[in-house]
Amino acid sequence: MHDAQMDYYGTRLATCSSDRSVKIFDVRNGGQILIADLRGHEGPVWQVAWAHPMYGNILASCSYDRKVIIWKEENGTWEKTHEHTGHDSSVNSVCWAPHDYGLILACGSSDGAISLLTYTGEGQWEVKKINNAHTIGCNAVSWAPAVVPGSLIDQPSGQKPNYIKKFASGGCDNLIKLWKEEEDGQWKEEQKLEAHSDWVRDVAWAPSIGLPTSTIASCSQDGRVFIWTCDDTSGNTWSPKLLHKFNDVVWHVSWSITANILAVSGGDNKVTLWKESVDGQWVCISDVNKGQGSVSASVTEGQQNEQ
Amino acid sequence: MEKMSRVTTALGGSALTGRTMHCHLDAPANAISVCRDAAQVVVAGRSIFKIYAIEDEQFVEKLNLRVGRKPSLNLSCADVVWHQMDENLLATAATNGVVVTWNLGRPSRNKQDQLFTEHKRTVNKVCFHPTEAHVLLSGSQDGFMKCFDLRRKDSVSTFSGQSESVRDVQFSIRDYFTFASTFENGNVQLWDIRRPDRCERMFTAHNGPVFCCDWHPEDRGWLATGGRDKMVKVWDMTTHRAKEVHCVQTIASVARVKWRPECRHHLATCSMMVDHNIYVWDVRRPFVPAAMFEEHRDVTTGIAWRHPHDPSFLLSGSKDSTLCQHLFRDASQPVERANPEGLCYGLFGDLAFAAKESLVSAESGRKPCAGDRRHPIFFKRKLDPAEPFVGLASSALSVFEMEPGSGSMSWFVDTAERYALAGRPLAELCDHNAKVARELGRNQVAQTWTMLRIIYSSPGLASAASLNHSVGKGSSCGLPLMNSFNLKDMAPGLGSETRLDRSKGDTRSDTVLLDSSTTLITNEDNEETEGSDVPADYLLGDVEGEEDELYLLDPEHAHPEEPEYVLPQEAFPLRHEIVDTPPGPEHLQDKADSPHVSGSEADAASLAPVDSSFSLISVSHALYDTRLPPDFFSALVCDMLRFYAEQGDVQMAVSVLIVLGERVRKDIDEQTQEHWYTSYIDLLQRFCLWNVSNQVVKLSTSRAISCLNQASTTLHVNCSHCKRPMSSRGWAVARARGAGGPDGGAELRGGTSGRPQLLRIRAALRLLQTRHPAGPHRQLEVPGSVLPRKAPGLIWGQHGSPEHCQYLLLPESGPALPGVCGSPAASPGPYLPGQRHPVFLWG
Repeated sequence: MHDAQMDYYGTRLATCSSDRSVKIFDVRNGGQILIADLRGHEGPVWQVAWAHPMYGNILASCSYDRKVIIWKEENGTWEKTHEHTGHDSSVNSVCWAPHDYGLILACGSSDGAISLLTYTGEGQWEVKKINNAHTIGCNAVSWAPAVVPGSLIDQPSGQKPNYIKKFASGGCDNLIKLWKEEEDGQWKEEQKLEAHSDWVRDVAWAPSIGLPTSTIASCSQDGRVFIWTCDDTSGNTWSPKLLHKFNDVVWHVSWSITANILAVSGGDNKVTLWKESVDGQWVCISDVNKGQGSVSASVTEGQQNEQ
Repeated sequence: MEKMSRVTTALGGSALTGRTMHCHLDAPANAISVCRDAAQVVVAGRSIFKIYAIEDEQFVEKLNLRVGRKPSLNLSCADVVWHQMDENLLATAATNGVVVTWNLGRPSRNKQDQLFTEHKRTVNKVCFHPTEAHVLLSGSQDGFMKCFDLRRKDSVSTFSGQSESVRDVQFSIRDYFTFASTFENGNVQLWDIRRPDRCERMFTAHNGPVFCCDWHPEDRGWLATGGRDKMVKVWDMTTHRAKEVHCVQTIASVARVKWRPECRHHLATCSMMVDHNIYVWDVRRPFVPAAMFEEHRDVTTGIAWRHPHDPSFLLSGSKDSTLCQHLFRDASQPVERANPEGLCYGLFGDLAFAAKESLVSAESGRKPCAGDRRHPIFFKRKLDPAEPFVGLASSALSVFEMEPGSGSMSWFVDTAERYALAGRPLAELCDHNAKVARELGRNQVAQTWTMLRIIYSSPGLASAASLNHSVGKGSSCGLPLMNSFNLKDMAPGLGSETRLDRSKGDTRSDTVLLDSSTTLITNEDNEETEGSDVPADYLLGDVEGEEDELYLLDPEHAHPEEPEYVLPQEAFPLRHEIVDTPPGPEHLQDKADSPHVSGSEADAASLAPVDSSFSLISVSHALYDTRLPPDFFSALVCDMLRFYAEQGDVQMAVSVLIVLGERVRKDIDEQTQEHWYTSYIDLLQRFCLWNVSNQVVKLSTSRAISCLNQASTTLHVNCSHCKRPMSSRGWAVARARGAGGPDGGAELRGGTSGRPQLLRIRAALRLLQTRHPAGPHRQLEVPGSVLPRKAPGLIWGQHGSPEHCQYLLLPESGPALPGVCGSPAASPGPYLPGQRHPVFLWG
């Protein structure tokens, strides 16, 4: 199994695995009921992503077979609604843009390219491709939360606010790159964040709750996890802070909803939770080791920190 | 490629050396074959037939077998094979159906030896017997296989596959007389070379053409077949019926398959279409290749391991006119890229984690710790043993649930639902919210609310009335109690350190309070020593003077040591600036806080939290009235809100913003406010807290936010009985006729043809009406809730028989939520545009 994602409401869980399958479970009330077993990929499925529910129940999956499939639930049954075959190599990561932008999917592939699929209505998808985004391959993509430049107040009501779309990607060139959509709709590399000494495995842009600063977590083959922050509004200066150096590959980083806790999973099959303490240091507040251990105590402590 | 170092492999005396390298051919290759000395390779194609020597650094052309002025079609090779016993003997299969043998030992330039012109169509494959020097087998597009004895002019025997075309023939290594052939119709046949009349065995191996097969070199009766269906299957031929033991799913049709020497479970494949790469698979890992060679720019047509006992050198020829030697260690390994774990933060603070089961189950013997209240594994996916994964990889998915009240988000939901944001006087709202927060164990928040109440609620009335009483109570019994509460409060967090302090506190009990929060103490300290009957003015003056001393008083309790008590440090970063002006109120506020640190321990009965706050309010009110401009606290409160927002508690920020309204609004820039609002609304909606979310939208002052309610909503209406959607044609928009909905809402009359439907309710106050041909007309109420600023409501109706008298209300973007069906009394709350809404049934 390569990925598991909860939907927006936390009621359904999608998983994907090497056996080409994408499965959706209903996980309400602590149960788990298999709702759908989606077949369509011809290789291991690396990642799944839920779209915002305002567009319906839509799930995207990407696979070693170089395809990205977008699934949709219609009248209770899941069906393939679109298949994107624009990559020359395994597609490693998919991520939906914040719903404010419309239905946009970013896909990062081992062929080094990132493609952006935009739904244009009537079952049509427009494809934009960033070639050579990362040499050797792109491993992860993550969208920045929708932040509006300037106040919404100035916008004439009814008109769509002028969002600046941004996302981060991590690749085999050890870099994290930030991409920004130009006014002409083209994507341009805005920043190159350099700190890792091996493949970047995952990047996660923190949900922006309450504060206008931007934060990105990244993890790498080199065992290090960095927290990148950008305080100035122009978004040009990012400073890394080493969260921790693990002994093994770090595969995933994931932010909690309120962006104050970061979950990190590593090659040693451990999940750790991290929280920024008052003095700006990141401290491990728990150690979820394969379902066992004395997590509760330390989490409780973390809670006290909050208070 | 140049940087690749050389590799030497010892093979019983002889050694293979080389590096990853390639050379350009004059023409596309169709097939390659290696000489048994592992030092030469023959490349054959439509217009190429050459022998290359494999040297350490490069390929060197040794011999061009394509001689003569006008090349005959006999030289257009579909396949080539080098005898594994005789270094001088080669055979080629020509596209015109001729089988040619070549003797390199011939002295003349033309090495052609024998010509067999028996096949009528292209010969796809030739194969020498592994141990017999003179036996050659061919398979042709004409559907026949022929066996030649090279000492004779004609074929010895002909085998009819009874089928269109033969794609591959391979002598068994295990059985002297046996060979396998594969066909375009998906069949594999097994023949005894002595019995040309009929095949020994036949089975359907693939869906579509079987392009290739290869016997396992280690004599185990395993046959690998590859087909257009993108699969490689491994068959055990020793059993009575061929049994599929492995199945590898590749991503392109399989044109060639070759077992890897010395690696029992490895085989190499290449495709004839689309995919140019060569893959090496571990048959036990059927989805991800173990290695991948990506050098070729066009379809790879021939692959051969350089030496039958060396697993690291692979040769390949391609349509891109190159010949390559690949070193296994230079291969890219897709497995490396594969992510073996999944991790996802759930909405309620739970964490899903998927990982290899082998690693997880290693832990299963361990018992959960006694205090571990998480439910460690919520489900485990066990793989069917029939699946090819067995023993290698299977995954377990664990979901870690946070302990209630810690990392979990239940506090968020509870708080959101119970907070009062409007409709009452400020003081009451603050009190109410403080109470809610306290009941949920969120002391800091509770304190903040109380503090806000103190700061902003106007003096007099309720608080004034209770003033005297409270003061009296506070001074007599309140304060001593507080001290003890504080001790209790801190004990779990501070541990031994606290106890240490406590001993100090024995001599002077108020030091303990200092520990709890460095700034909070100030007044507490004073009160304890001076008693609460000290006049407020005096208190103030005292504090002013003591500002610095207070810090000196207990320096070891500097902030870093006590991260738990973030409030004093972060919430009031402006302290010193304020101190420059009138310092007193700052401390008053702190003072207001302190009783709540204590009061929050609700079980520590006798001192009711409200009382304790009142006792201090009395003091603060006096100050408020006499000295301070009403907006004095604004900067402070704004900072506090920012602090909460930064801590991820945007709920607090927004709630306070709403409750305080104009009092602070102007001090926080619109953009930030808007951001908080949107964040909070989004969170609320994720938790399906529609009512709260709508209330927040309604109460928000930001135009951008409140216009969220103005957009239109799309509804889908299904019959709840038969679950069929209402027909879009059944609904029509008409003028209002004052239906009896809770809000005088719209009127709908059901009409169905049971076909997929779409009911769109666009603008406000538009009423809907429709006809219902199948049954009595019933009213459908469309709630005002779909319309801006209307009370919540629901839809019900009937189509067909009486059992059909319920309707589901479904917005555009979600399925029914059966869990939230309720009676009309439990009104669902206003709906937000573009969101998935709860479904209500009303029979």
